[in-house]
Amino acid sequence: MRIAIIAAGLSEPSSTRLLADRLEKATRTALQNQGTAVESTTIEVRTLAHDVVDVLLTRVASPELEAARQQVQDADALIVVSPTFTMSYSGLFKSFIDVLEDGSLAGMPVLLAATGGTARHSMVLDVALRPLLSYLKALTLPTAVYASAEDWGSPGLDARIEKAGRELADVLVALPRRTRSDPFDADSPDFVSFESMLGGS
Amino acid sequence: MSSMQFGIFTVGDVTPDPTTGTTPTEGERIQAMLSYALKAEEVGLDVFATGEHHNPPFVPSSPTTMLGWIAAQTQRLLLTTTTTLITTNDPVKIAEDFAMLQHVSGGRVDLTLGRGNTGPVYPWFGKDIRDGIELAVENYALLRKLWREPVVNWAGKHRTPLQGYTSTPAPLDGVPPFVWHGSIRSPQIAEQAAFYGDGFFHNNIFWNKEHTEQMVKLYRQRFAHHGHGDPEQAIVGLGGQVYMAATKAQAMKEFRPYFDVAPVYGHGPSLEDFSEMTPLTVGTPEEVIERTLGFRDYAGDYQRQLFLIDHAGLPQEAVLEQIEILGTEVVPVLRQEFDRLRAPGVPDAPTHASLLAAAGAGEAAGSEREERDDVDTAAAIAPEARR
Repeated sequence: MRIAIIAAGLSEPSSTRLLADRLEKATRTALQNQGTAVESTTIEVRTLAHDVVDVLLTRVASPELEAARQQVQDADALIVVSPTFTMSYSGLFKSFIDVLEDGSLAGMPVLLAATGGTARHSMVLDVALRPLLSYLKALTLPTAVYASAEDWGSPGLDARIEKAGRELADVLVALPRRTRSDPFDADSPDFVSFESMLGGS
Repeated sequence: MSSMQFGIFTVGDVTPDPTTGTTPTEGERIQAMLSYALKAEEVGLDVFATGEHHNPPFVPSSPTTMLGWIAAQTQRLLLTTTTTLITTNDPVKIAEDFAMLQHVSGGRVDLTLGRGNTGPVYPWFGKDIRDGIELAVENYALLRKLWREPVVNWAGKHRTPLQGYTSTPAPLDGVPPFVWHGSIRSPQIAEQAAFYGDGFFHNNIFWNKEHTEQMVKLYRQRFAHHGHGDPEQAIVGLGGQVYMAATKAQAMKEFRPYFDVAPVYGHGPSLEDFSEMTPLTVGTPEEVIERTLGFRDYAGDYQRQLFLIDHAGLPQEAVLEQIEILGTEVVPVLRQEFDRLRAPGVPDAPTHASLLAAAGAGEAAGSEREERDDVDTAAAIAPEARR
């Protein structure tokens, strides 16, 4: 099972990355308990920030950004973690999502998570992240995890992380493996032959 | 002419020269572009191509007018477009304009079809960008019919029907201009080019070269699938972007101010990174030769190489010098080296003469090719017209 984690924290180290790592571990443990091996890769959006801006301005992707896009495309599931900025996910997080290939997230199980200064911003999960991922046709999991500064001193956060990890593991085990489409592969179901284009016009 | 064609393609942008702050007038820009075409012929390049745009800051809205003037001033230069908008132009007018240009130029014309990615142009011409692929498919099928059938009855979705229509003038010697299909990353267009056995052109600039590789590979594979020959026999054209000087350092120094604020890619990656990620080569003629020869590593043996050398506000004298270097130092070596590296069985670049010869051979052999055309146009495009 391949899991890609998108961590959009801006500082280094960041609590966003910390939460991402905990969610990854919880998911990994839950999957391993069900006998499923896990390969995971964490995309630190911070390290791609300049590349993301470049591709927005010029459409030319650095090899590093291209690799990150591919990791997202090839994943069986995603864990996304954004800091909360001005009522929403951060601009850099959104910009990274904006430069993913169309359809990359369709049908992808996604565990949503966010960090923020106080618990008063926890609705960011359901009013910002969830609609964004739903628009991209991802399967957002019911349990999403928000960690405010004070949560890092509370045992409740661990329980929420474990619950979310188990949920993602259960869904991944139950779902058929995600099929990867390639419109440049003439043998793939997504390839459009010219005969069908003529027929359709 | 060698088995490959070399030339230049212009986007036709009117951009201030960032080093002087001067902006050419439209008239000055157009005159400069015309001078590049004449210079291209003078230094022994084979092809001049113009873009087609319908919004400022671009001037070439009327390519066949421009190419007609160039045809009158030149003897052997091939004239083409990069690209002709198959979506928003009426295919009936394309058929007429390019057949006329064929006659005017004595067969020195082909064209590259593209969809255009400027959103508002579609509604300005009464179309919808969301129909882009559909328009490219339907309009090109009609264009083919207009050039191949003396009397056309046709009905489709995107223009008024035709009854008893004859496109005039008929193509020169009855042979329609060669058609290339250009697209950066739409597999449907690579498939369209392959289906008809037409050429495929990738602009190979401003984007990661992986897009070029992916599209050319699909086109070659499907060219074979649709029965036109081996993948290696498909007809491929590529763009490229260069700026040259006697040393790499000098070239970088001269080009950087233009690069840094250029339309499309300015204010983005550094010149160094952009040169790494895209086919842009800024350096000595030798470096341009080496990089260009390297295109065949991912595109295979190909038939046409066009260079972009005149955008981003580069002054006329600098561009003329680039054309001079291309013609005297770069292309002669490229011709020789590409010919030496070329695998046996790879077709030469198409010309009017080669198409005429092939058409003659086809008629002698009972012209299977023409029957195929009848099947695809009649069956797919005009079922109503047959009733």
